[in-house]
Amino acid sequence: MERKDDIYTVNLFRPKKGYMRDEVVIILAILVGWVVVTFGFQLAIRLLCSSPQGCSLVTRFYFFNLPFHFWFTAQFLPLWFVILCLIFNVFVDRLTEHHSRRRDRTYE
Amino acid sequence: MNSQPVQLWPLVVIAAVLASFILVGLINKSREGMEYGFRGRYIGRIGGGAAIASTWMSAASFLGIAGLLYLKGYLALAYVIGWTGGYVLLLVLLAGQLRRFGKHTAPDFVGDRYESSAARLISAVISIVISVIYCIAQFKGIGMLFAWLFAIDYTTGVTLGACAVVAYVAFSGMLGVSRNQQMQYFVLIVSFILPLMVLARKMGYFWVLPQFGYGEAMEELASDYGVKLAAPFASASLFQWWSLCFTLMVGTAGLPHVLSRFYVVPNIRDARWSLVWGLFFIALIYWSAPAYGVFMRLFELHAKSVPDPATARAIADMVVIDTAIKGGLPPWLIGVLAAGAISAAFFTVAGLLITGAASMSFDIYYRFLNRNATEERKMAIAKGSVVFLAAVVLMFALKPPGLIVEITAVAFALAGNTIFPAFVLGIWWGRANRQGAIAGMLTGFLITFAEPLFGGIVPVVAQIFPITSSAMFGAPLVIAVMIAVSLMTPPPSEEMRRFLAEEVHGHLD
Repeated sequence: MERKDDIYTVNLFRPKKGYMRDEVVIILAILVGWVVVTFGFQLAIRLLCSSPQGCSLVTRFYFFNLPFHFWFTAQFLPLWFVILCLIFNVFVDRLTEHHSRRRDRTYE
Repeated sequence: MNSQPVQLWPLVVIAAVLASFILVGLINKSREGMEYGFRGRYIGRIGGGAAIASTWMSAASFLGIAGLLYLKGYLALAYVIGWTGGYVLLLVLLAGQLRRFGKHTAPDFVGDRYESSAARLISAVISIVISVIYCIAQFKGIGMLFAWLFAIDYTTGVTLGACAVVAYVAFSGMLGVSRNQQMQYFVLIVSFILPLMVLARKMGYFWVLPQFGYGEAMEELASDYGVKLAAPFASASLFQWWSLCFTLMVGTAGLPHVLSRFYVVPNIRDARWSLVWGLFFIALIYWSAPAYGVFMRLFELHAKSVPDPATARAIADMVVIDTAIKGGLPPWLIGVLAAGAISAAFFTVAGLLITGAASMSFDIYYRFLNRNATEERKMAIAKGSVVFLAAVVLMFALKPPGLIVEITAVAFALAGNTIFPAFVLGIWWGRANRQGAIAGMLTGFLITFAEPLFGGIVPVVAQIFPITSSAMFGAPLVIAVMIAVSLMTPPPSEEMRRFLAEEVHGHLD
């Protein structure tokens, strides 16, 4: 597999050591948080509900005046996305500073 | 509808708002010329966020979501989640790297990354098709608003609206108006939330934050009338919800007019942060939109005039305005709301028509038909293209094929099936080559329109690739096609691979 031009390999699942590897770790972590909470929650209400109309636990429990699942999807999930983006940016900012201090001073 | 009089006050407010945009644009233009020099002024991260949000806000956000919630309840939240969650994908996978790559438009990126003029042409055509579909939805909104404003039928309304929007684009262009997107966002958010607060107050709900106040209205609907808008999967299965949501998410990352917004701030770090602000500003509207749909349902039940399903579907896209009318808001406030809706649709159409026309003139005419074209010739082609594209859009908008959000979703599905895979693999897999990209984009195009094309012959196709949500299986399939074809054909040039490894991924912010 080792070829001469392997130094130019770019692959999300085989990142180069250093900056790119650290960045990819954050990206994958954020994506997991994104998939699980968004799609997982919908799966959870589907599994918890006996019928689509009259639901059990999730629809009877109220939160901020709204049925819990409705509140979670309509109001919390957009907020969750903002939080995910915030976390991502804070980490990438740190990463950038860390690596630029170590390797060069082009950052500023 | 025709028995109603011409809406005088709303018309006055709308004309005033549109005129003030031109006026402020002119003042800004002269000021920029004097004080800030050629590049324009630095607008900061929050300003960049407002620019992203105002580019994004269209008739679909403003009118469409409330309409779908009114019709289908919980299914509408798939749009809310799809259109906000897509920004997470955009930020973590593409924003920084695309900006480091340094291309402002999809055809530019695809053409350069895959070193192929054929790939550039295909992505240019796809971008134009996306813009046209997106505009059809906007035209439907404009047409319905104009029909209501002037008390005329929809066909006349949409024709008049099309002329008005082209005239607005031409007039602004002639005067050289600079777009003030921060002001635009401010007008949109105030015109959407202020009427909602007044409505909630009139109805006796918690009005300071109507985003939470409408919960009581939902409870009243459920307990007094047995209307369970919150019931999950009542009007769509889990799979339909998922696939719609996923399609809108990947589509968000591939829309042609969002990409260029990363370039309004000076560096990547600011671009990343302005995207977070943009997402927050967008969420502000989406947190509020369901309230309009809920209030409308309640008004109808209070008045004991519940329309039959066909009528409900026909009026769904005007639910936001109808709620304000039924709630007894003063005409000027209804005008403010309508002005917000019209500006959202106008600026989206203007942005898409101009990008589409520029693409026709530069990516298609100049690159393929006439390499010796002069600047004047290219400009004339671009101007002609605006009118041509508007005419094509109008032709489809005369008989709109669905709700505003449904039409918009097709544009997202196309973006998610073609541009998104080309971006993601282009950035994250150095081995992706031109053959893969071309094969992938063509497959994606076919998949998007698989339901109308093959759904009649092979019914299972219609279930796997429904027209509004084809990217759930479409995008992964296209990515698989791109990988397979790329591996069977020679890798891209060493120069490009080195650029990707050293500039796009090796470099620091």
